[in-house]
Amino acid sequence: RGLRCRKQRMDRVRVGVIGAGIVGLSTALCVAESLPGCSVTVIAEKFSPHTTSDVAAGILSPHLITVTPVESLRRWFAETFAHVYSIARSTEAPDAGVQILSGWEIFKEPPEERIPFWSDIVLAFRVMSDSELTRFPETTFGWMYTTLLCECLLYLPWLEKRLKQAGVQLEAGKVTDLWDLEGKYDVVVNCAGLGAGPLTGDPLLHPVRGQVLKVRAPWLKHFIRCGDGTTYIYPGVTGVTLGGTRQAGDRRLGPDAADERSILARCLVYEPSLAGCRGLGEAGVGLRPTRRALRLGGERLERGGRSMWVVHNYGHGGAGVSLHWGMAREAARLVKETLAQIRPQPTHNKSKL
Amino acid sequence: MEAWLHLNAQTEELVGQHCRTEMRVAVIGAGVIGLSSAQCIINRFQPTVKPLTVIVYADTFTPDTTSDGAAGFWQPYVLDEGKPEEVKWNKETFDYLLSYMSSSDANEMGLFLQSGYNIFKEPVPDPSWKDAVLGFRHLTTKELKLFPGFSYGWFNTTLMLEGKSYLPWMMAKLKECGVKFVEKKISSFQELGPDFDVIVNCTGIRAQELQPDPELKPARGQIVKVYAPWMKHFIVSHDLKAGIYSMPYILPGSKLVTMGGIFQLGNWSEENNPKDHNKVWEGGCKLVPSLKVVAKYLIQFEGKIKKESPYKINQQCML
Repeated sequence: RGLRCRKQRMDRVRVGVIGAGIVGLSTALCVAESLPGCSVTVIAEKFSPHTTSDVAAGILSPHLITVTPVESLRRWFAETFAHVYSIARSTEAPDAGVQILSGWEIFKEPPEERIPFWSDIVLAFRVMSDSELTRFPETTFGWMYTTLLCECLLYLPWLEKRLKQAGVQLEAGKVTDLWDLEGKYDVVVNCAGLGAGPLTGDPLLHPVRGQVLKVRAPWLKHFIRCGDGTTYIYPGVTGVTLGGTRQAGDRRLGPDAADERSILARCLVYEPSLAGCRGLGEAGVGLRPTRRALRLGGERLERGGRSMWVVHNYGHGGAGVSLHWGMAREAARLVKETLAQIRPQPTHNKSKL
Repeated sequence: MEAWLHLNAQTEELVGQHCRTEMRVAVIGAGVIGLSSAQCIINRFQPTVKPLTVIVYADTFTPDTTSDGAAGFWQPYVLDEGKPEEVKWNKETFDYLLSYMSSSDANEMGLFLQSGYNIFKEPVPDPSWKDAVLGFRHLTTKELKLFPGFSYGWFNTTLMLEGKSYLPWMMAKLKECGVKFVEKKISSFQELGPDFDVIVNCTGIRAQELQPDPELKPARGQIVKVYAPWMKHFIVSHDLKAGIYSMPYILPGSKLVTMGGIFQLGNWSEENNPKDHNKVWEGGCKLVPSLKVVAKYLIQFEGKIKKESPYKINQQCML
């Protein structure tokens, strides 16, 4: 592929992706796969296991309070689900940290939307019967469903391996100004998560702090998620993630002892067997990069006569894992469209970018 | 597993009729049946009968009993006759165990919930235990796509009760109640005769050594245990022509996943059979392709597993 490109063009198309969380890595992979012959580089300050994604339990269920149209959310979630499902059914599943998981989402009061927009996208979904609810304290309504879990501690390194196989470069480094990349890349893809704030000056992006406790409880085979999602238990491959907190505007990255006690106490109410966990758990903190409208779109930046092309893909809040692949594919399409504009093909050249 | 509370009703009757003050009971067998029988007798008679002596005799204790080898999956046979007393015993057992789920004992007991799939190649009637388990329903078309070659099935949540934890837990409870344990092979009922008012025979597969019983037969099983922590559902496949448990099944445990699918009526061999091993292994991998990489996964996670384990943890034979 490289040889063919060199014959056809003087220089390869270069795409730079900022961010190595689940959004950055999956976007880079989608760009590399849809634009073979393109040189893709991921530039990030943090790589797994130090990204926000690594803290997440990784469940595929897009709980969002957003103005982004539900049709888009459905499309992105469906595409992500189908993609992760195919991994789950393959021999890659353990390496990729992907598993099928069933469980209960329970409420003290029935939610406004009795049936969530994603109910037909997960593998199986039903409303719980009254007799089923009696097992859970203070619960008057609930769903039981089967979905997927994408444990980022495994999934991100697995993605990195695939990226390297696709010829993508991974570069450690903090981008403090988008314009530092001008001239180096034809298109910059901004998957910087919370880091997109300083890069773009976006006033709508803010952190929602989430603390978790990862424990060893391999007898737990179901997830439990309560109400607004502040309390949850997600058994993954390497451990069980207990959560959590939702602290808007809180940027503290260090674990808080009071939060940890609160998480454990709340989870014990729904899963008393957690008292039998051996040893202390591992605390983690992630700042969900939250934005009322998820930002996925191209932008032509101008500054003092110079211009650069950016495709933004950030602001996923707590739904990054749930939506990552669908949005990465769309970001790759936007990159392709942008490249078509800035490097239009000569009419005699039949090759596709 | 499913019939172990049947003793409750009948023995209580027998024992109650026989004595009013002192009572001496011998239980032969220390598997899940023997221990549960002892516990039920204690529960029923200890408040009113003094002195009450209960002694458990066995030549095999946990972790070497048949109960220890089982995966601990609560599920009666799928096409049973639905006999009312069995349906009742099954439900009583399930409800009894479920009541422990909200206690802090559950862990020590080796008790936990697990959901999963029973899959068939043709429609079958609902099982007699559908109301005992939680959330029983039929599989949707989408779910059946998980299992190419199968066209019908059930999803439900049931209980797992691992003998290696449950039996020690029971023995500790029984000792607290004053039950004595004697490691001794009882060769005849007469051996115990004069010392006890009632003998409770819970000798399982070897009951024929005490009393001929042509209806009691071994149904040999062979399993493979693997480390596959991404497996969070049970899968039991069925072929009505092949017979119960002759098709691959996958039962994730608290630490390891049990793969099985051997049911050989009349076979007493306790040796591992390579043909059976291959059948179980290949059958399981066909159901769940990700199990093929178990060896690789073990190497990758060596550090996180407590002991050095070969590729497939162990192959076990159980009757």
